[in-house]
Amino acid sequence: MTSAVAQPPGTTTAAAFERFFREHHPDVVRIARGVTGDEATAQDVAQDVFIAALRRFPDPRAAQHAAAWVRVAAAHTALNTIRGERRRGHRQVLSGIDVPRAGPEEAALDSECRAEVRQALRRLPRRSATVLVLRHSGLSYAEVAEAMNVNVGHVGTMLRRAESALRKEL
Amino acid sequence: MRHVSDGVLRRLQEEPYAVPDAAGRHLETCGRCRASSGQIAENAALASRLLAVPPAAEDTDAAWARLQRQLEPAARRPARGSGVPRFPRPLVNVPVVTGVGLTAVLVAGGVAAAATLTTVFSPTKVATVSLSQGDLRAVSNVLGLGRGPAAGSPSGGSGTQPLRFGTLRWSSSGQPGQVSSVARATAQTHLAFRAPARLPAGVGSLAAVLVQPQATATITFSKDIAAPVGGTRLTVSAGPAMMVQYGGQLGGGKVPTLGILTMRRPVATSTGATTSQLENYLLGQRGMPTDLARQVRLLGSPGSVLPIPVPPGATATHLRVHGAPAVLLSFASGAASAVIWESHDGTVHAVAGLLNRQDILNVARQIG
Repeated sequence: MTSAVAQPPGTTTAAAFERFFREHHPDVVRIARGVTGDEATAQDVAQDVFIAALRRFPDPRAAQHAAAWVRVAAAHTALNTIRGERRRGHRQVLSGIDVPRAGPEEAALDSECRAEVRQALRRLPRRSATVLVLRHSGLSYAEVAEAMNVNVGHVGTMLRRAESALRKEL
Repeated sequence: MRHVSDGVLRRLQEEPYAVPDAAGRHLETCGRCRASSGQIAENAALASRLLAVPPAAEDTDAAWARLQRQLEPAARRPARGSGVPRFPRPLVNVPVVTGVGLTAVLVAGGVAAAATLTTVFSPTKVATVSLSQGDLRAVSNVLGLGRGPAAGSPSGGSGTQPLRFGTLRWSSSGQPGQVSSVARATAQTHLAFRAPARLPAGVGSLAAVLVQPQATATITFSKDIAAPVGGTRLTVSAGPAMMVQYGGQLGGGKVPTLGILTMRRPVATSTGATTSQLENYLLGQRGMPTDLARQVRLLGSPGSVLPIPVPPGATATHLRVHGAPAVLLSFASGAASAVIWESHDGTVHAVAGLLNRQDILNVARQIG
């Protein structure tokens, strides 16, 4: 469904970018959701990533690493987002909304756990947090290697160190 | 051979076929590497549990349309508070999490598959419930399954089914199917899988890898029922799951001899009544087998126990696998066995096959 407005320059190029968007948007959202734990924020991150991608790769067919780039950009942008969370405070205003009464302890623990994980990701070195997010969002070792521009044999080592660091942070 | 590097040990957890065979052989005989591998597996499982991203419906059309709007020239765009329109936030957070439900417990390798009515929330351990064919029929009658025409596909997708006390709706985030590798299944399900380093005699090579996306069933209780159960919406989510099948050494290796099932533990949420209220309502229904209701009540902690139905003819033994409570099901003939347990990271494991109980346990203790 290509709109008549706001096409990137050149019809063929525009169609190529739309195909690129449709192919990679689900992965980008999933990576962002893995960091933020929130669908709406993940969608925002994905929009920012693809706007940046459009500026960088107007014709993604000509950019060999465009797919890898948007994945890493999703991880970095999402990590930046949660790093700014504390400063911005919670956006969601719940006053006046019919929020269900406090549920079982497990629900609270789950929410608490997610917050702790986000804090831990904030504290980890950027590279460690990125490899964790990419791998645990479902990318294979080969895909993580391509996205991070490292040898595939090095991904296991990076992942092992990052997971050990994550455990220490919790 | 030198010790296996940490990076290779880490990859062995998820992509065992991508590392040299020599590493696997070394691991079998080296205590130091096995200890490292165990620690790495624990950290990996923890990270997987904390960082796994549940599947969600993706509306790429809407996302593309939104991008188009953002790229409109400013002059054509209505004035906004900020340059980038934000995605609408949900008005209400996660519903109150409590639950009672129907949990389907899959047992691999053609050994058994059954379902039972009991309390489910976010179980952390397994326990047995004896279940006869008569019990299954009685539970089906209590639920009112078959009272009206079901709409939709029972094997996947989505559908509805009228119940005696409400409506059952189910949906799946995708179709179950076979994938080309364990790595692909891991990528799709976000479940870690550790292949057993040693397979029992008679078990052949890897034959098939199957995935089942997350499935959700929602029971909406009729508003005619007295509060607080009336109007409650109970949602049970199960999966995703992956099944790795190994063929036999006879029959061209086509007949599955061993199956290893890995799935995220089921979770139930309720918008109204509490676990105990729903349990009391369901178990108090006329026609509910008295002994089954008694067994379910004896489980205690209804929100934390995953009931394992024991099929007729099977013997259940309680033991531990990697320190977690496990149930071993075996048949008198010794021709088939299964062991089911939930590991500390919230993953339910089942190892089943046409093998004796010792062989099944040997496999179970290499994974999980």
